[in-house]
Amino acid sequence: MNVEIKETLDVKGLSCPMPMMKLAKAMKGLNSNEVLEMLGTDPGTKSDLPRWCNKSGNLLLDESELDGGVFRFLIQKN
Amino acid sequence: MSEHKKEPGVLGQLYGIFFAKHWPVWVGGIVLGTLNILLFAIKSPWGASGGINNWGENVYRLLGLFNLDNAKPLLTNNYGMLCLFLVIGSFIAALLSKEFAFRVPPVGELIKGFIGGSLMALGATFGIGCTIGAFFSGMPALSGGAIIFTIGLFFGVIVALKYLMWEMEKFPGFSTGKSYNFLSGTGKKGNWQKWLGWIVLIITFFIAYQYSDKNKVLAWFIIIGMLMGLISQRSRFCIVKAFRDPFMTGEAEGSVGVMAGLIIGLFGFTIIKYFGIGIGEATIRSREMTWVFSHFFFRAAIGGFIFGIGMTIAGGCAVGTLWRVGEGQVKLWASALGFILISPISKMYIVPPVVNLLPKNWDFKSYMPDYIGYPGAFILVTCIILLWYVFVKWNEKTGRFSAY
Repeated sequence: MNVEIKETLDVKGLSCPMPMMKLAKAMKGLNSNEVLEMLGTDPGTKSDLPRWCNKSGNLLLDESELDGGVFRFLIQKN
Repeated sequence: MSEHKKEPGVLGQLYGIFFAKHWPVWVGGIVLGTLNILLFAIKSPWGASGGINNWGENVYRLLGLFNLDNAKPLLTNNYGMLCLFLVIGSFIAALLSKEFAFRVPPVGELIKGFIGGSLMALGATFGIGCTIGAFFSGMPALSGGAIIFTIGLFFGVIVALKYLMWEMEKFPGFSTGKSYNFLSGTGKKGNWQKWLGWIVLIITFFIAYQYSDKNKVLAWFIIIGMLMGLISQRSRFCIVKAFRDPFMTGEAEGSVGVMAGLIIGLFGFTIIKYFGIGIGEATIRSREMTWVFSHFFFRAAIGGFIFGIGMTIAGGCAVGTLWRVGEGQVKLWASALGFILISPISKMYIVPPVVNLLPKNWDFKSYMPDYIGYPGAFILVTCIILLWYVFVKWNEKTGRFSAY
């Protein structure tokens, strides 16, 4: 996906709730429309993150699985 | 064009329903509630801390420590085996959905896992039960102590969540650092996970069959334990989430899932107790008092509070820890280790002297129908669940109590 990534949040190895807590904190530091890339390995994030985006009004632009079991999410701040 | 992708057959689609995506939590809650009723109908309801304590006693027995020669061997202990096959069931689910991997977190997280597990062991010994025995089964069992334990849990979770947020602000380094990920099932290369999943599933049924001759109850505890692990992993059923998320991100889905399981359990348990189903040689009174522990009031309050802190720091209650062990989350291995090692020590050395200091008359079994009848107890538990539902849904909309 061709977008400018403002910040990358690495939460690999962390399990619930740390990825979501760190994401919520990181998103606070972003301006509207800026995009955050998150890299994680907790399968729980795959359902937690879209739900949180839905609720908080942020936009989940893309999710994919990279080699080595790393989940990558692109989230645009509302 | 990508239209050439072959559409899966009928069985492939069925497989996809179970293992392609996570299930809604409420689906997991309803099925777990139903399996809990089946356990009660066969023998006695779901519990987790007793089984983990049995593991711990067997570890110390093998090491020759603490004179635990009389500890029940794991292979003949219903709850020890239920917990073991819960781990295996989650392992199977993670493999079949290619979500298994050894996920090693930074060291700080491993320490938190161990401390969280140890606190859960302490809390479960004080409270005579964990989030399953003294909450998910205890509330439907119409136990007054379970309500007190639940209130204790709430306060413990809030305190520990405040700690986690403080830690993340002041010491972000504690949860960052080197992490490792092994044996993940990404892409075509990861298809070995599916094959291994089927093999482990078949072995599980074979083991259960081996028990079916001599110990029918244990055979079914093995199968139901495996199913509980599988369902927990697929629906990511998590009691910590149910208590914590309304105060964190404000989400209610996890809470509603647990409520669904509680309501189903409430119907089943009430009927079993009311009619004395499955009493066998026992009296109807002993059936009524099943899973009503002598922890009303102080033991339940203290136990719930400590357990709530432990599970929030660990990121999984007793069962949440076990099924995450099965999908390879090494932080929760540290939590399980803490639970296993500290539980027998709490039971023998830490909790008894403290309990002796508590007022004696605050340490009894409170069976709610004795005071307000079956209808009263049923309505009371329903109202508590309903109140909780209204709170989390209102909070989800307004965000009044959520941190983010």
